[in-house]
Amino acid sequence: MTQVHVVTSANRHLYGDILESYHRIRHDVFVKERGWKAIERTDGRDIDAYDHDNTVHLIAIEGDRVVGGERLTPTTSPHMLNEVFPALAAIKGVPIGDSIWEGSRYFVVRERRVGRTDCMLLAALQEFALDEGITHYSIVIETWWLPRLHEAGFVVRPLGLPTLIENQWALAAAIDVGASNLEQARALGGITGSVLVRRGPQIPLVRQVEHAT
Amino acid sequence: MESASFDHASEAFDFVELLEKLRSPDEIMNQMEKSLGRFGFEHFILTGLPNPHEKLNQNMVLARKWPQPWLDFYIKQNYVAVDPVVRLCRNTVNPFEWSEAPFDRMTEPRALDVMNRASDFRMANGFCIPIHGLTGYEACVSLGGINLDLSPRTKPALHLMGMYAFEHIRQIITANNTSRFDRLTQREREVLTWTAVGKTSAEVAEIMNLSKRTVDEYSVRAARKLRAQNKTHAVVKALQQRLISP
Repeated sequence: MTQVHVVTSANRHLYGDILESYHRIRHDVFVKERGWKAIERTDGRDIDAYDHDNTVHLIAIEGDRVVGGERLTPTTSPHMLNEVFPALAAIKGVPIGDSIWEGSRYFVVRERRVGRTDCMLLAALQEFALDEGITHYSIVIETWWLPRLHEAGFVVRPLGLPTLIENQWALAAAIDVGASNLEQARALGGITGSVLVRRGPQIPLVRQVEHAT
Repeated sequence: MESASFDHASEAFDFVELLEKLRSPDEIMNQMEKSLGRFGFEHFILTGLPNPHEKLNQNMVLARKWPQPWLDFYIKQNYVAVDPVVRLCRNTVNPFEWSEAPFDRMTEPRALDVMNRASDFRMANGFCIPIHGLTGYEACVSLGGINLDLSPRTKPALHLMGMYAFEHIRQIITANNTSRFDRLTQREREVLTWTAVGKTSAEVAEIMNLSKRTVDEYSVRAARKLRAQNKTHAVVKALQQRLISP
């Protein structure tokens, strides 16, 4: 059974092998499969400046195998939309605030791209945000994902026009967090109840950022 | 077509924001006619695609400003099976001009037919925005006309407008489909309301002083009325349609 684990700086010591596998799969998906040459690394792991201490990883694990994930970064810390892709938010601007987090490096492994794992990860995003007091996400998505997010009940507000990046149309957007959005994502995936697993020490994530700044 | 000062980006964002206020497919269609008209489009269709090897039917069409004789003829001829635009739409995630949909003129005479006949209905060229759902649903937003303002500058705006129009019409149609069915009773709404806050049927039974079996029966009936797949789905639909409050 697949569950989505919340991995933070406080409990990552419990996820040594899983994190190693997570960074390798990210490299497989984004460099080998999608051809993002700019982030290629000789050690075969995708890890960069945005995988920092304030970053939270939602990792979908089936048995002991990583099947999907998403990286979440507070927008009050260095994050990609602000530093790498601000042009994508040319019309509405880059949303920044304590309760706004950025989602990036969303993936599901090839063998699990039939829908349900996606629904779990999308439900996990909403559930995590509701738990932590996050009100919005900012994201850069491949534009063809917009109707998929809509289908999962996400309210998505564009921040700029679709832009061609590495031969793929990309879109920056803000996503609302809400209980009804969570319910629709769950319903689409036939998911009843929580998908999140929290192991080991827990830290208040949104407040932690306020202290850090 | 408009003057050089035509701002495609504001047009797209105004359109996306306006959609939120529109409550019926007709209003959305009127707005699409206005907004897309500024890019030179005369016709558009928002439609689900049949499974491969199945036929298109009128029920799959969500909304259209599309010549009826052409749609009838298209369905009758089963053009969906040979239309190069449909084929490319299934195989790409990126929007494209109809003229970019490849086919072999020698070996696919019926594909050539579709393209030529579309021109007869004032759709010499067009723009197709593929929709690929999470659970296998395939659809497209297809826009046609003659003098089109299709350029690397305008295409991203049209891309966004097409996807948002599709989503809003889909939402409204889903909601209308359910509201045509029986209204929920007070008891059914009560059960859904407790379920929405996370109570199990046993807990709801205790709260409402009913047997668990009766509570389950109310959930099943509510789900049926809402055309929901299960209890959770029924709660979602009831919340969306504001039949219960969160």
